[in-house]
Amino acid sequence: MLYVVGLGLSDEKDITVRGLEAVKASSKIYLEAYTSILLVPKERLEEFYGKPVIIADREMIELESDEILKNAAVEDVSLLVVGDPLGATTHTDMLLRARSLNIPTRVIHNASIMNAIGACGLQLYNFGQAVSLVFFTDSWKPDSFYDRLKENSDLGMHTLVLLDIKVKEQTVENMMKGNKIFEPPRYMSINTAVSQLLEVEETRNAGVLAGDRTLAIAMSRVGSDEQKFVCGTLEELSAQSQETFGNPLHSLVIVGRRLHHLEVEYAEQFAIDKPNWRKVAKTVYGCSLEDES
Amino acid sequence: MVNFTVDQIRQLMDRPTNIRNMSVIAHVDHGKSTLTDSLVSKAGIIASAKAGDMRFTDTREDEKERGITIKSTAISMYFEVDKEEVSAIKQKTEGSEFLINLIDSPGHVDFSSEVTAALRVTDGALVVVDCIEGVCVQTETVLRQALTERIKPVVIINKVDRALLELQVGKEDLFQSFSRTIESVNVIIATYHDAALGDVQVYPDKGTVAFGSGLHGWCFTLRQFAARYAKKFGADKQKMMDRLWGDNYFNPATKKWTTKSNDTDGKPLERAFNMFVLDPIFKIFEAVMNFKKESVFGMLEKLDVKLLQEEKELDGKALLKVVMRKFLPAGDSLLEMIVINLPSPATAQKYRVETLYEGPMDDESAIAIRDCDANGPLVLYISKMVPTSDKGRFYAFGRIFAGTVRAGPKYRIQGPNYIPGKKEDLFVKAVQRTVLMMGRYIEPIEDCPAGNIIGLVGIDQFLLKSGTITSSETAHNMKVMKFSVSPVVQVAVEVKNAADLPKLVEGLKRLSKSDPCVQAWINESGEHIVAGAGELHLEICLKDLEEDHAGVPLKKSDPVVGYRETVKAESTIVALSKSQNKHNRLFMKAMPLEEEVSLAIESNKISARDDFKIRARIMADEYGWDVTDARKIWCFGPETTGPNLLVDVTKGVQYLNEIKDSCVAGFQWATKEGVCAEENMRGVRFNILDVTLHTDAIHRGGGQIIPTTRRVCYAACLLATPGLQEPVFLAEIQCPEDAIGGIYSCLNKRRGQVNSEEQRPGTPMFTVKAYLPVAESFGFTAALRQATGGQAFPQCVFDHWSLMNGSPLEKGSKLEELVTGIRTRKGLKPEIPSLDTYYDKL
Repeated sequence: MLYVVGLGLSDEKDITVRGLEAVKASSKIYLEAYTSILLVPKERLEEFYGKPVIIADREMIELESDEILKNAAVEDVSLLVVGDPLGATTHTDMLLRARSLNIPTRVIHNASIMNAIGACGLQLYNFGQAVSLVFFTDSWKPDSFYDRLKENSDLGMHTLVLLDIKVKEQTVENMMKGNKIFEPPRYMSINTAVSQLLEVEETRNAGVLAGDRTLAIAMSRVGSDEQKFVCGTLEELSAQSQETFGNPLHSLVIVGRRLHHLEVEYAEQFAIDKPNWRKVAKTVYGCSLEDES
Repeated sequence: MVNFTVDQIRQLMDRPTNIRNMSVIAHVDHGKSTLTDSLVSKAGIIASAKAGDMRFTDTREDEKERGITIKSTAISMYFEVDKEEVSAIKQKTEGSEFLINLIDSPGHVDFSSEVTAALRVTDGALVVVDCIEGVCVQTETVLRQALTERIKPVVIINKVDRALLELQVGKEDLFQSFSRTIESVNVIIATYHDAALGDVQVYPDKGTVAFGSGLHGWCFTLRQFAARYAKKFGADKQKMMDRLWGDNYFNPATKKWTTKSNDTDGKPLERAFNMFVLDPIFKIFEAVMNFKKESVFGMLEKLDVKLLQEEKELDGKALLKVVMRKFLPAGDSLLEMIVINLPSPATAQKYRVETLYEGPMDDESAIAIRDCDANGPLVLYISKMVPTSDKGRFYAFGRIFAGTVRAGPKYRIQGPNYIPGKKEDLFVKAVQRTVLMMGRYIEPIEDCPAGNIIGLVGIDQFLLKSGTITSSETAHNMKVMKFSVSPVVQVAVEVKNAADLPKLVEGLKRLSKSDPCVQAWINESGEHIVAGAGELHLEICLKDLEEDHAGVPLKKSDPVVGYRETVKAESTIVALSKSQNKHNRLFMKAMPLEEEVSLAIESNKISARDDFKIRARIMADEYGWDVTDARKIWCFGPETTGPNLLVDVTKGVQYLNEIKDSCVAGFQWATKEGVCAEENMRGVRFNILDVTLHTDAIHRGGGQIIPTTRRVCYAACLLATPGLQEPVFLAEIQCPEDAIGGIYSCLNKRRGQVNSEEQRPGTPMFTVKAYLPVAESFGFTAALRQATGGQAFPQCVFDHWSLMNGSPLEKGSKLEELVTGIRTRKGLKPEIPSLDTYYDKL
């Protein structure tokens, strides 16, 4: 049996009871470690489970999946995935391959950023398509997410923007030479994200985003003890220092037009400039709010 | 001794109309360096008695030993032209003093890249042709290079003394031989006609052809004789020049000029050239060599040539040398020909700017180059690096096209990969010193204005081999030089003592800097590879490396040849590869690229840097491409400039643009290391037919797409009948008739193919031209010498890539054996990976 177990968002204790049972019953435990990262080192997991955990980086998941599956045919194997197993699409491939080898599979769900995002006060019902924002380079600025953002915006929906993380990236030269030399890990900051968003708005110019008229909520380490929310207009966010937003990982929500007054009020506690938060919600988003008195 | 000062030279530098930058170019052994001596002696740098024996510009020990030039050497000279002749200069001039910057270049084909570097910084060329051997393969190569750089040629037919002394030809035969040589030079010039340069064919009657002997230090153009006779006949000098060449005859009986070779009674007349020009020379030769001294002195008196008492004591060749040198001093006539006929920088840069500068023709740099403006922004092209006496350091040698360079201010040092507005391949540094290059010496100068050739100290570490130095932030690069030779012969080197390895690494860096053409790199299995244009080039490079740049004992492997991987048909089915996460699929086909297109890319006629619309137009009009396809060429490879293309023929694919960079990187990788033997690919067109991609950019980044593109390129190649191309030399061999048999047997053993075999009219020499695979060329020179009793000497120049018979995929074939050999050498698995390594099923 191949168990694909969600670990939740923050540390070793977020695993579900059912998940823990599966892990305890497994002879081999792999930890998928590149689509997202856990906020604790794997030793904490091993201590908690009382079993060794094998780190499966991108190479292993994508190129040596046969190795993982081979064992699963005869014994129980767990693949631990940060967040929810099916949150990041890449794991469907593993399940498909197991199915073609007639290996029974079982998915054990957990919380993911996709649902924990509700913590910022916006209602999950009103979220549109989620997008990823990757690091721009001089010559590579993929901006197709802008179309998704526009579609969401046209329907008045909120957009969850996942920010790029680069762990274990090789340079092209090292890739060509087959050197396993990896670049230092990089995590996109809220400041970078906001400036990239505004850069794309400038080139595409469809009026989806405006520095002083678009509200957004920045999140750090959702689901952990350190979780932090900061909200305001894009302009306000980009004016903050990086420390304001807390440690990586970060995500960003672009607030859609169909903004409910309760959402405004709930998120207000995180606002950089509360009166302005209300003002923009009222004048730009057309929320009916009582005047602050 | 030296009849000018650095101050005088510095003053002339400010007058771009009175500067002549020129190179001396020719086939090997046609006498460039010896002739250059005559010019240098005229300038008083070496004693005139030594001119012809000294080879001033051959500064290296091995150059002197072997008697060939290896590195090009520059020298600046001051020359004052006869005031009467100033009027003959058909371009703007001020006064009668001139600064001549001369570069002597190597004639051996293996060092052609030195010629290229010399041509780039000059505006005119003195083409030296041996009057017995005539126009040879390297004459043609360097002349062609000169013309494509828009360099105006003048010609000297050299070694006339040999024709007179050894071959004993008659006057009319000699005239015919001269005419034929000039004709063949003009045929080449006409082939590479360039409207912007105008008609640059050479004619003796226009004064653009000289005749002489570098060894004996004498030389003339018709101008000198015309000047003598114009007075005597009371005729116009220009008219006289016209009459002294071609079908013009003088009837001494009627004292009339005619164009018919017979007089009215049908008696043959003597050609004016023979009568007025050759006759005195023949008479002097005859008199001197037959020891008729009295008649010699009589003639000299008439010619107004005075000998010193001790010179009168001489006999035979020594006397001949003195007499001829006083009668027709080579330095004067050549420098006069150069000053009158070759363009000044002020003239030349007007038409050269388009072929030199990459940027728009209306930016400040282009305008300053066009006007040769010393007050404009600095634009300086470094064409090569010259070793200094300080070990490991180099002078950056180049030409100032605009502005003035001096020590102190910070300049922008732009390497060949610099792109305007970006920071890659760019340094902002100050020059420490500026120096004048004077053959084996240097002279410091304070600053140097546009139009001059200069050496810079202190910036060598920021340049690899060449580059552009500017003061303008908007300046684009000067065009990269295109070499006529490729580094096709490789050897692996290693140190004898492991502790010397760092010295080898450093030495390789220096070697690579010191030679425009040599390449050095570390291959996959960690070997240090040095690649050169030919056996001799490599031999010299390795000697320099061992004795100079690295200074440690080295082990060298046998030379090996770089092959090219190609495909012979279109992929039989569409190749498919999936990314590691299986969410992205690339569909591709490979097909052979038309050979004409490969050649056009290799000769820079089509380049990655062209505007894509203009390029598409040219590809459609000249190479029959579909315009839409041609516009969708994503890139060239390997190294973004090579003769393989990646073409997007997809229809309406979303996000395609967002993976373009990754596809380009994967394609560069695949074309650099082909599927069969990890050799460069050549002549392959890859069509991207379709792609399916993950919606989210995170899951289709470089880590996913780059390896997938490489794999799909490999799969497409394996499906498209892969083949190998090998480099082939054109070998030109000069020899007497009885050596021809030896040449044929030698070529037969080495898969050589004879192209042509011609006798050079008027001589017993034969010229054999043959194609010879580079792989078979090692030791060819020695074998040939042995087979012909030392009478045949080949010049091998890379000519083309030739498709080899058979398929590397066929078990037990010759090609498979070859590929296995290369793979083993590189430390790869011996077998070519099978298709399913790269091809994924749907």
